[in-house]
Amino acid sequence: MAAPCGMMASRPLVQLFSCFSRTAVGNTGFRQFSATSVCRATSQAKSVTERASSPWTLMAAVCLQRLPVISADCSPIEQQFKDMIFQMELEKSVLSDHELQLLEDAERMRRKQADDYDSDEEEGHGRQEIMLAQDLEDAWEQKLKSFQPAPRARADVDEDLTSAQRCLAETLVLLAEQQVGKEKLWLLPQTQWQEGETLRQTAERALDSLPAGFKATFLGNAPCGFYKYKLPKAIRTESTVGTKVFFFKAILSDNAPPKAPKAPLLWLTKSELQRYLKPAYMMKVDRFILGV
Amino acid sequence: MNPVLRKLQVCVTQQALVLNQAFTSCSSTPSIRHPVWCTASANERQYRSMPTHGIGRWRHLIIKQAPKKKRDKPQMKPILPATNTAYGSLNVKLSGYDMTLVEHYTQYIHNLCNQLGIKVAESYALPTKTTEVMLMQEKGTKMYIDSVLKTHERVIQVNRLSTALCPVFMDVLLKNQPEGVQLSVKEHTEADFHSRFKARPELEGLMAQINQ
Repeated sequence: MAAPCGMMASRPLVQLFSCFSRTAVGNTGFRQFSATSVCRATSQAKSVTERASSPWTLMAAVCLQRLPVISADCSPIEQQFKDMIFQMELEKSVLSDHELQLLEDAERMRRKQADDYDSDEEEGHGRQEIMLAQDLEDAWEQKLKSFQPAPRARADVDEDLTSAQRCLAETLVLLAEQQVGKEKLWLLPQTQWQEGETLRQTAERALDSLPAGFKATFLGNAPCGFYKYKLPKAIRTESTVGTKVFFFKAILSDNAPPKAPKAPLLWLTKSELQRYLKPAYMMKVDRFILGV
Repeated sequence: MNPVLRKLQVCVTQQALVLNQAFTSCSSTPSIRHPVWCTASANERQYRSMPTHGIGRWRHLIIKQAPKKKRDKPQMKPILPATNTAYGSLNVKLSGYDMTLVEHYTQYIHNLCNQLGIKVAESYALPTKTTEVMLMQEKGTKMYIDSVLKTHERVIQVNRLSTALCPVFMDVLLKNQPEGVQLSVKEHTEADFHSRFKARPELEGLMAQINQ
């Protein structure tokens, strides 16, 4: 392989401490993500004076993903199974403390209503129960009724392709429209590799070069995918045969960054990518984007 | 002729004609029908009414382990350092309020590691922490217990995670993370190991007294 991989191997490892938490309540439309990376003492990469120049231009692209925020809806079979299992577990389960208390209270009420009730016969209880278990349950029901959960999916936000809050149940990938050669193409944000930097740093630069400032955590130093593009014969020269693009995965880590309006950026699900990417490119990208 | 061989001949002719060659090499056929007899020579007479004696023996096949003494304190497995191509000992910590989710997610990660060929050094649970949520009463100053929340924690210790595999592994973990479960990946330290054990205050008090 060309030089960059060799450089990556000689760089000491960047250790990653990451903490991910997923809370359904609270953050609207985002999963909290905090990562601290600890760099070991970096030794300068030895500069190779004589390096065989390769006829390929090297680029690094970043596959920025926004992870799902809410759980996906169940399919009809899954829903039916879920209901059946819930019912079975309920039937097999033992009564909880609260339910036992309810039964006890009901029993005591029944005995109180009876004509021959003698409060001295009551075992154990020295004091009167102020709050019956039934009252507690009613109070909880009232609280539940007053709680309004946020809607899981909003149709207008789902339609807006530029919003990072769309399709909360799926992972979204960022696409940018960039100038490649003579035409503008939709692809994963990429930029050219420069001497003296690792490919991952190139990918980080590609991310920073986007108009909207995204904060992301890269998952590792190793690329997750690769795409090779040979220039048409007319433009090909001795020194440039084509481009090799290395993809790096990153996870979006902050809440709804300020959107730069009219920036040519799209957040797409895996199934929608096909409409925007070229077929050969799509085939390579498809392999590393996990559609879970 | 040996009555054993005669009986075998009869059986063999009953089964197949192809086994004609077996007549010449009679030492091979006894081993098929009488497993224990391979150890004995052909001339020794074995006990005929227990043909499958010792058929279930397996303990002689496994490697003998030294007997574990009860007084052995659990030793910490050595913490591996990170190299240029692999992380050392990593702790994948999962915590949450719902035990079924946390437990199933742990099992999922463990199975995933087995499938991907990632070595799982240890997989253990830390003690459950109970949190009582106390609310102020509407009229009055007394606090009453509103709910009891139990935080369950599970840890999977992973050794030698290759850096090329790490992004894929992390991606799969993040995409399959269930709701309400916190995932945290950290390096394994000695402090983590010692946090699994109960503190012994009397022993520590006595040690402090001795050292004074």
